[in-house]
Amino acid sequence: MKRLLFCVFAGFFIAVYFILTLFVLPEQFLSTEHLVPQPHLNVDLSDSEISLGDSFRLNVVSENIGDYGDIHIVSVAFPDLVEIDPVEIATYDFTQSSKYISIGDKIGARYSGGTESTFSRYPSIEATTRPDYPGIKNHLGLIITPEKPGIFTIYVKSVDIPHASNLSHYPDSGFLDHQDEYVLVYSVNVNP
Amino acid sequence: MSAKSKNNLNFLQVHSGRIFILGNALASFGILLVTVGGSWDITNHLLSKPETFFSSPHALMYFGVLISLIGVALSFTGWRNLRSFRESYQVSLKIGMVGIALLAGAGPFDFVWHSNFGLDGLLSPPHFMLITGMFLCSIGSMVGISRYLKINSSGSVSAYMIILAVVPVWLSGSGILSSLSLPFSSTDFFEFNPDPVLAFFVASFGYPFLISISMFFAFRLSDFKFGAMSILGSLFLLVYSSTAIMPNFALYDSIQFYLLNLIPFVMSDIILRYDRSKISCVFAGGLIGSTFYMVYYPYVMYTFNEVLLGKIVSPSLIYFVYFELINKVFSLTVIPAIAMGIFASLLSEKISKKIQMQRS
Repeated sequence: MKRLLFCVFAGFFIAVYFILTLFVLPEQFLSTEHLVPQPHLNVDLSDSEISLGDSFRLNVVSENIGDYGDIHIVSVAFPDLVEIDPVEIATYDFTQSSKYISIGDKIGARYSGGTESTFSRYPSIEATTRPDYPGIKNHLGLIITPEKPGIFTIYVKSVDIPHASNLSHYPDSGFLDHQDEYVLVYSVNVNP
Repeated sequence: MSAKSKNNLNFLQVHSGRIFILGNALASFGILLVTVGGSWDITNHLLSKPETFFSSPHALMYFGVLISLIGVALSFTGWRNLRSFRESYQVSLKIGMVGIALLAGAGPFDFVWHSNFGLDGLLSPPHFMLITGMFLCSIGSMVGISRYLKINSSGSVSAYMIILAVVPVWLSGSGILSSLSLPFSSTDFFEFNPDPVLAFFVASFGYPFLISISMFFAFRLSDFKFGAMSILGSLFLLVYSSTAIMPNFALYDSIQFYLLNLIPFVMSDIILRYDRSKISCVFAGGLIGSTFYMVYYPYVMYTFNEVLLGKIVSPSLIYFVYFELINKVFSLTVIPAIAMGIFASLLSEKISKKIQMQRS
């Protein structure tokens, strides 16, 4: 009798364990909403017109205004440049080192997290923060000295990973860059 | 020889046994620190991508190596001055010394590797050398501690010391299996990720075997002390939850799920407390083996995701993919997991007898 009671007692707890871990809790966890990180950018350009040989400054302040995420990326690209030499990083407080992307480098595309890729058609700088806590402001300041007269164009965008929805990139409409991802477009008129 | 050195010699001879056991305990504790640092390092890599060799988890790991080195040196000193049973401890000391040699060599090797190839993945030559060294060192200490306790007929309380010796064996064994099954070893220079199908089998057979044999080592080497399995299981869950779950904000909610794993450990302990028959051991072994996917939450998911889903899993999505897979993995692996758990429970009897120098 004692043995039987013991078997029932042990069986009960083992059954509870498997029911909870295999059925009840997984269903509960899977029904919770996914975290959606949401990047936001503020871009400030020191000048809209300069003379050739002068520099201007581009300040980017970015943050995640959504849920906790894994990676927060800000990309600043220069479609008029062949080399990144005229661009100098003046301020930088992202948690990971900046990454320079050259023409021809393999890069991700269409917010796919690496499953789709393309090749870079112009140079860019990527700033990354990991993990991606909401409400923490990241600063990137660039000093740019154009080498040619004319319109100097800059693309700026931010992507958060996991890329849960259209909220996880900024901007979410407008001009598409070489990665088929939306960018804010800025320009400075460089006088001869 | 001066009077002072004669006194020193006497001191060493008088306390040789204690020095030997203290050395083994320190070596075990050091490996425990290395394994905790290693698990923390994996999480650190997943979450914040450290850009330098000089990180906190690495500091903890190499502090652990230092403690182990001191421990092995002490146990060697103790062993040299033993007046009896020297041969009984020779094997444990040899295994420990090979282990510590690998560990000590892995540090500079790792630094050189990092300097030449940047940050490496989980599986790389220096990391594998480190993990193998950890495993051997912890095995050596476990054998040394177990034999000492047996030879000296230590009391009930000190028998629980065996738990401290088994935890690092379990954790470092987990490190070996993880490095051979997790897809965390692809770098710019080398592709060391294991083949996904092979990794599937390594995880499905290896983890259940390791959990079961570790639990049964604690049970048998502590002279069947009630609570040994529960304490060992709790320590393992504590280490894993504090290094792999708690640092990841997105996994906080799932801590309640993880702590449920105490149930099979405690139930196995209770079952074997009342009935130590072969049938009970087989049942407990099978039960413990079958829990491996839950016990190795969350990272084991990456191994099975490679074969079953092939999703890109960023750290905050871990538990969604983990729970999406749980029923499928359980149904595919439960039979081999139970079989390996049972096999380990039976094998542990033979190995434990050898460790304790008993005749079969």
